[in-house]
Amino acid sequence: MDTVYTVISNFIALVPVTLAQSLILSFIVLGIMLPFRMLNFPDLTSEGAFPLGGCVCALSLAGGAPGWLAILAAMAAGFLAGSCTAFVHLRFRIHTLLAGILMMTMLYSINLRLMGKSNLSVYGTPTIFDGVPFAEPGFPVSKIVVAGLLGLAVYCLLNLYFRTERGTAMRAVGSNPDMAEAQGISIWAATIGGVGLAGAFSATSGALMVQSQGFADVNMGIGTLINGLAALMIGEAIVGKQTLRRQLAAPFVGAIVYYQLVSLCLAAGMPPTDLKLATGLFVLAMLALPTLKRARGPMPARETIRE
Amino acid sequence: MLEIRSARKVFYRGQPDEKIALNDLSLTLPTGNFAIVIGSNGAGKSSMLNAISGALMLDSGKILINGDDVTSMPVHKRASRVARVFQDPMKGTAASMTVAENMLLAELRGKKLGFSRGLNAKRLASYRERLSALNLGLENRLETRVELLSGGQRQSLSLIMATCDQPDLLLLDEHTAALDPRTADIVMQATVRAVEAFNLTTLMVTHNMQHAVDFGHSVVMLDAGRTRLEIIGAEKAEVTIPKLIGHFGLKTDRMLLAS
Ligand SMILES: Nc1ncnc2c1ncn2[C@@H]1O[C@H](COP(=O)(O)OP(=O)(O)OP(=O)(O)O)[C@@H](O)[C@H]1O
Ligand SMILES: [Mg+2]
Repeated sequence: MDTVYTVISNFIALVPVTLAQSLILSFIVLGIMLPFRMLNFPDLTSEGAFPLGGCVCALSLAGGAPGWLAILAAMAAGFLAGSCTAFVHLRFRIHTLLAGILMMTMLYSINLRLMGKSNLSVYGTPTIFDGVPFAEPGFPVSKIVVAGLLGLAVYCLLNLYFRTERGTAMRAVGSNPDMAEAQGISIWAATIGGVGLAGAFSATSGALMVQSQGFADVNMGIGTLINGLAALMIGEAIVGKQTLRRQLAAPFVGAIVYYQLVSLCLAAGMPPTDLKLATGLFVLAMLALPTLKRARGPMPARETIRE
Repeated sequence: MLEIRSARKVFYRGQPDEKIALNDLSLTLPTGNFAIVIGSNGAGKSSMLNAISGALMLDSGKILINGDDVTSMPVHKRASRVARVFQDPMKGTAASMTVAENMLLAELRGKKLGFSRGLNAKRLASYRERLSALNLGLENRLETRVELLSGGQRQSLSLIMATCDQPDLLLLDEHTAALDPRTADIVMQATVRAVEAFNLTTLMVTHNMQHAVDFGHSVVMLDAGRTRLEIIGAEKAEVTIPKLIGHFGLKTDRMLLAS
């Protein structure tokens, strides 16, 4: 009984910190979901765009820029990275996953070059989390408020955007590129814009993380992709993806639930080194579920993705 | 007005399996003309339609729509002039989007897109009205995702989408071939109604000789990538199935079955 009690109290003590963390990381989950679900473009750029955002943010902060400006700079860099991946896919007809791997690999060197070293501390510079009234800076509350409000704003904006004429057109490119093109929609513009936007969100996540933890590290992206995917799967399992509203809410809900689950596992004594195996198995299970469910029926059509 | 001037397209040029899809094909289709395109499998009918829509870039030759040279325009730039219904019902609609959203995409075809709300009340009402003309109950399923519709319903929707804003040119590639006879009939009736109502300049590919006899102002027969025969005017009015089939060098089973 005693151990259960310690596990639970350890877990509860970490809930606010984990919540702050998960809200910050929900942007990278959004950056994974957008190309994957809206454009049918499975994209791996986020693992490189996340540290890119972090590095650009750290450099801006070190150069004296205010927190919000550092985030905007990170977003611009992330957008560029995402649109490069899309361009590589469109222009050279390279598979989306391969294009993402290429971009992610090259971004590692770029990040190192940008910072000049593998680690840059920006501890003590003013951040976007400072301005919250009644919350002592540096505490999870201010991070929860700022990241949460930012997430809510992004959610509402995307919800509006994907219902506009342009947003509908972008979704059509993901749903049926040939049909979209025949309706006069430029596949290039929609793909570059959409994947770029996703890169911008991944970079935002990295930038917020740097402001939250006070340093940037070129290795901070490692594992973010699989975590993000797992979070997305959980989110979609909870809120579903039948409507636009649900599909857009899935990354946020998923991120919040997933990181609490991870925290619970760690509190229960799971060695942190096993985390990747557990996450990988979980994502595999979620992806395999539809085929297992229909094991007795006819084989479902393989999910088609753009090549 | 559509003009194709000695269009040429060769696949796998210089390789042992070289295929000449379009062999200096020329064709003129006056405005308001409804032409039926026939020809045996591999004659180049789909290639011709792909070349017109921009999905296939020509090796040489020219394509003009209403006098404008569109030869080097990509598909999405030609979309404001050309609308198309494919043989495969899956191809002409966005499956994971709703009926209303698909109608919206069709309405916006070739227009400048903005940041205003796509589906507003006015548009929804007009879609309901247009779809009710089909008598398939689609007007009550505006919020249904298209993947949940039957092939015939999807094809009917594609047709309504293609004809909704009166394109300069309508391309139909065996658009009833994948449907059961009754649904094929419904879609064909809707096609004729739309084409006649708006006087659309239309190219319709079919293997159904009855359709070739019953509909259209002219019949164009393709063979090995060129026009082999054009039947127009009074001659078209008198044409019969045996006469048409007689023009095929090689009578495929499919054609005999279809007629
Ligand atoms: N993408 C392609 N790659 C290689 N060859 C092609 C391609 N598309 C068409 N062809 C060739 O071009 C020729 C004409 O094909 P097309 O599809 O235009 O015929 P069709 O008249 O539409 O026939 P069907 O009645 O069977 O639909 C054929 O020999 C075909 O093999
Ligand atoms: Mg064909």
